[in-house]
Amino acid sequence: MGKKSSEGFLSKPAVQSTLAALLCIVIGLLVGYVALLIINPAGATEAIITILKNYFTYPTKAAAMKYLGNTLVKAAPLLMCALSIQFCYQAGLFNIGAAGQYVAGAGAALFCALQLKMPWIICLLAALIAGGIFGIIVGLLKSYLNVNEVISGIMLNWIGLYTVNMLLSGVKETASPYTVQVASVNKGAILPSLGMEKLFSNNKYVTIAIPLAILIAILLKVILSMTVFGYEIKATGIAKDAAKYSGMKEKRNVIITLFIGGALAGLGAAFLFLTGYEQWSVTQSSVPGMGFNGIAATFLGGLDPIGTIFASYFIQHITSGGSYLDKNIYPSQISDFISAIIIYLCGFVLFFKIQLNGWLRARDERAKQPPIVQSKKEEGGNK
Amino acid sequence: MAGNSEYAIEMLNITKRFPGIIANDNVTVQLKKGEIHALLGENGAGKSTLMSVLFGLYQAEEGIIKKDGVEVKINNPNDANDLGIGMVHQHFKLVQCFSVLDNIILGDETTKHGILQKDEARKKVMALSDKYGLKVDPDAKIEDITVGMQQRTEILKMLYRDNEILIFDEPTAVLTPAEIDELMEIMKNLAKEGKSILFISHKLAEIMAVADRCSVLRRGKYIGTVNIADTNQDELSRMMVGRDVQLVATKEDKEPGKVILHVENMTVPSKLHHNNAVKNVSFDVREGEIVCIAGIDGNGQTELVYGLSGLENCTSGKITLSGKDITHASIRERSTSGMSHIPEDRHKHGLVMDYSLAYNLVLQRYFEPEFSTKAGFLKKGAINSYADKLIEQYDIRSSQGAATIARSMSGGNQQKAIIAREIDKNPDLLIAVQPTRGLDVGAIEYIHKQLIAQRDAGHAVLLVSLELEEVMSISDRILVMYEGELVGEFNPKTTTPEELGLYMAGAKRKEIGA
Amino acid sequence: MVLLLQYTLLFASVLILVALGGCFSEHSGVINLGLEGIMVMGALGGALTLKYISPSTPALLIVLAVMAASILCGVIYSMLLAVACINLKADQTLVGTALNMLAAAAATVIVKSINIAENPDNVSSTVQYVQTKKALVVSIGSFQFNWFMLVALIALILAYVILYKTRFGLRLMACGEHPQAADSVGINVYTMRWSGVLISGMLAGIGGIVYITAGVSEWKFEVGVAGFGFLALAVMIFGQWKPINIGLAALLFGFFRALSNVYSGFDFLAALNIPGSVYNMMPYIISLIVLAFTSSNSRAPKAEGIPYDKGSR
Repeated sequence: MGKKSSEGFLSKPAVQSTLAALLCIVIGLLVGYVALLIINPAGATEAIITILKNYFTYPTKAAAMKYLGNTLVKAAPLLMCALSIQFCYQAGLFNIGAAGQYVAGAGAALFCALQLKMPWIICLLAALIAGGIFGIIVGLLKSYLNVNEVISGIMLNWIGLYTVNMLLSGVKETASPYTVQVASVNKGAILPSLGMEKLFSNNKYVTIAIPLAILIAILLKVILSMTVFGYEIKATGIAKDAAKYSGMKEKRNVIITLFIGGALAGLGAAFLFLTGYEQWSVTQSSVPGMGFNGIAATFLGGLDPIGTIFASYFIQHITSGGSYLDKNIYPSQISDFISAIIIYLCGFVLFFKIQLNGWLRARDERAKQPPIVQSKKEEGGNK
Repeated sequence: MAGNSEYAIEMLNITKRFPGIIANDNVTVQLKKGEIHALLGENGAGKSTLMSVLFGLYQAEEGIIKKDGVEVKINNPNDANDLGIGMVHQHFKLVQCFSVLDNIILGDETTKHGILQKDEARKKVMALSDKYGLKVDPDAKIEDITVGMQQRTEILKMLYRDNEILIFDEPTAVLTPAEIDELMEIMKNLAKEGKSILFISHKLAEIMAVADRCSVLRRGKYIGTVNIADTNQDELSRMMVGRDVQLVATKEDKEPGKVILHVENMTVPSKLHHNNAVKNVSFDVREGEIVCIAGIDGNGQTELVYGLSGLENCTSGKITLSGKDITHASIRERSTSGMSHIPEDRHKHGLVMDYSLAYNLVLQRYFEPEFSTKAGFLKKGAINSYADKLIEQYDIRSSQGAATIARSMSGGNQQKAIIAREIDKNPDLLIAVQPTRGLDVGAIEYIHKQLIAQRDAGHAVLLVSLELEEVMSISDRILVMYEGELVGEFNPKTTTPEELGLYMAGAKRKEIGA
Repeated sequence: MVLLLQYTLLFASVLILVALGGCFSEHSGVINLGLEGIMVMGALGGALTLKYISPSTPALLIVLAVMAASILCGVIYSMLLAVACINLKADQTLVGTALNMLAAAAATVIVKSINIAENPDNVSSTVQYVQTKKALVVSIGSFQFNWFMLVALIALILAYVILYKTRFGLRLMACGEHPQAADSVGINVYTMRWSGVLISGMLAGIGGIVYITAGVSEWKFEVGVAGFGFLALAVMIFGQWKPINIGLAALLFGFFRALSNVYSGFDFLAALNIPGSVYNMMPYIISLIVLAFTSSNSRAPKAEGIPYDKGSR
């Protein structure tokens, strides 16, 4: 039980995760910068700064606050999708189906709001359940039929997309493929703001969704680290066989986990569409990227709910920043490109940690005297 | 001088380090041409590391390797192969879904315009098979053939490559006594034909039976080399462990009490093949006795325990624990009804390797009111103090106490943690599956004492073991399992390992009434 | 009817090519979830070739140039997967997903940049290849034979021969089943896995260009390839990692995909008045059902998804 020395700072998991995340961000931005340089060297520096500045581009504080509000409005659903993926990842499940669960949630929320004219709380619940059901399908297929959750998740993403397109085609604007404005048809379905919009220069899209998403992140952190359920979920994720051996209901846990994951993603969609910030296009032929960007936020956040709050904000920050680029010079997808690079780099985090730990250990060993033959192994076994 | 050396291979002053451990410390082994040279040592003594160095899987930091008196560098298995060194690994390196022939030629294929030419290979394999009495079916898939035939495939792999130096890494662990005899004959034949053989083992009797000379390793250090003709088992044993070992555990006679575990006509399907792994098995385990299931690896012992613990469903039969029918009970119900299980694979089943020691110590009890609140929160304080108690009581050693991650602990201490957890549940029935596998003598003694203490405290103990020595020394009753059936019941006081061997190999069987 | 056959064969060709790519990668031991992304990059390379090549170039040359460009893009892009999963032992699911997102974003950025450079007001992500695309097709009566159907057939036969009859195939599969065994007989597992992944890049690259030229003469890169890479994975699983079975599975899936393109041409189908979305969903629903029935006893390569580490034995 040796005391931690000051150099133990680097060996703390949280420190390592933060370092790794920062490294990913820096490299991701560098690659993005190079891409901008290739497209048009003249404005590249300005462009990358624009992406990073996002709403700070606006000269007045009021305008900046308003657009900070917009970034937060979109960061909330992103955080929810990230939490969905993360919660499932703790149980060893890669919930790429979050994208489809998000779609299902959007469909259910908008259908309840526009077609059935329900109040926001019911719409929220509907989204939660719809996302949850999509999650449960993946869970059932995984538990009872051994279907890889990645493949089934992807299939459900597309099934969800086309189903929701059909479902919402009845409530679209006549002249456009977009669903009608929630605020104009059913004001009661808009999420309450509790006066928060005043903080953001009367940005009407700022609602309780933002603090709720953060609260849910904290709640998940508590569940994972302090409860029996969290203990089981993590054990199942780390060591499926040991979890089974100890009598945990592995199949049930997988299904519950995916239900929760699906519910989180579904809620995330409601958090966006029930603000009225976006409308659903019933002719869209690709699955919204929110669920996939969630993967970036999760891994960038070091697979920790609290870290994910910051990571989600960051991803949304640069994504929103991308939209301020001069469209006639640079494509705004450069932000997606940077996010994708960051996820790719997140794949190396484990490698980075192993290298770092190996280096730390080697340094420690050099500091100590040469080890006695097999000391570690033998001391333990003998009395 | 080159080529005239008396030695086929010499490993001189080899030192190989791993982080925190010196696996081989200045080890020297010299293999004469045409001899069978045993390499003796306990688990973890550094035998496998040394052989991996010879085979090019690891590179030594210090020391040199000579072939026929000339220094050589072996950087990978290809180099070893080019020097005529072949190895039968302890865990066979065979591709399950390939045929025997494909496995033999893999890595040394003959092709014509890029297309595999198997006919000549087949002829060569069959010729070798005849010459050395290595019976195999070249077209059978590995997954369908016996362990013995798999091993013969491995040997043919070496012969196919015209290897002159053959390494056998613990080759008898998975064989029946009859197959072991056969292997010994094959090894002698090979030596007679001029092959030089390195035979790695920790089984003294086998070394005495087949080897010409023996080199001993202990804790990574080279202890010495002796001629088998000039030594005996006691001397070898002393060299191996550094002191006299009393492997026979002492225990007093005890009259067993009432039946704790009652198994009736249990049948468990197999994951590996379409037959049942356990066929219609019936037996009892009573209070205050250690019943041992003996048998060769892979005869249904694993599945028997899976069936008992609930990891696998029985297709028929009935299991009662302390009078309660648990045939269809869940794993958790069986555990809380008084069954403890020290699993065969401690890494896969026994521990959540990335959890702390404290979390692992409550793996069977975290849901109890002592460790969690009604609202579903873990009582971390209670868990930690319980862990500290067990660590103290069972002498579990680790670098950071209860907070140590299980993965970073030594094998012996991981096993101690599992034993502490399972015994401290105060179970009516303790099932221990190969609890001493891969551990050193000190840990083995410790575990045997714990098992006997359970028995003496009046609990029922069911031990599954592959080591006849262990079976003979600590059990009160022995049941032999062969191909999924119990084929004999014995009293360790009145039977001999040889007799058990006949039953384990399926040569004899008798009806046993449960 | 001819149209249905034509589209079935065309989509089946895409699925065969990409699923075989997945098959090579997985037999070497690497799960390639990035097939979708590789397809996009292959498609991009091919589409740009079609865009810039002169329509007066001989047809055969166009076909070859397009194929070469797609292969090149696919192979280069798959290197990102290989280096991450084989050398740096990254999570194969994560990297595959990242590659899919990266491909969609990168392709959009590249196409938009090109479009903007040509005309600052054109901010779309669409590439047009109306004229040159004709080179890929030969009309036989009303049936439009596409050269890539032949390529897929050849790939199928070659895949069978390579996997089961050659030294390379034997070694490749050994690496996916038991890399330690392969290593112990002197096979370089890393090299074999790299080969597997690069072959998958090559095949998925071709698959990409075939997909975006099937029936259309321009492609909007923002939409990627609509999950076709994943359908190909489903085909591969349904085909139990065996080339011939993959061929048959691809025909089945191709048929359902083709239906969504041509259902309106069949009176009885049009009369049912089922929304187009249902037909669009069909391939995904079918694959979900198929997976539900075939996943329990899969014959997946045993060591797939597990990074090979020389140190651990």
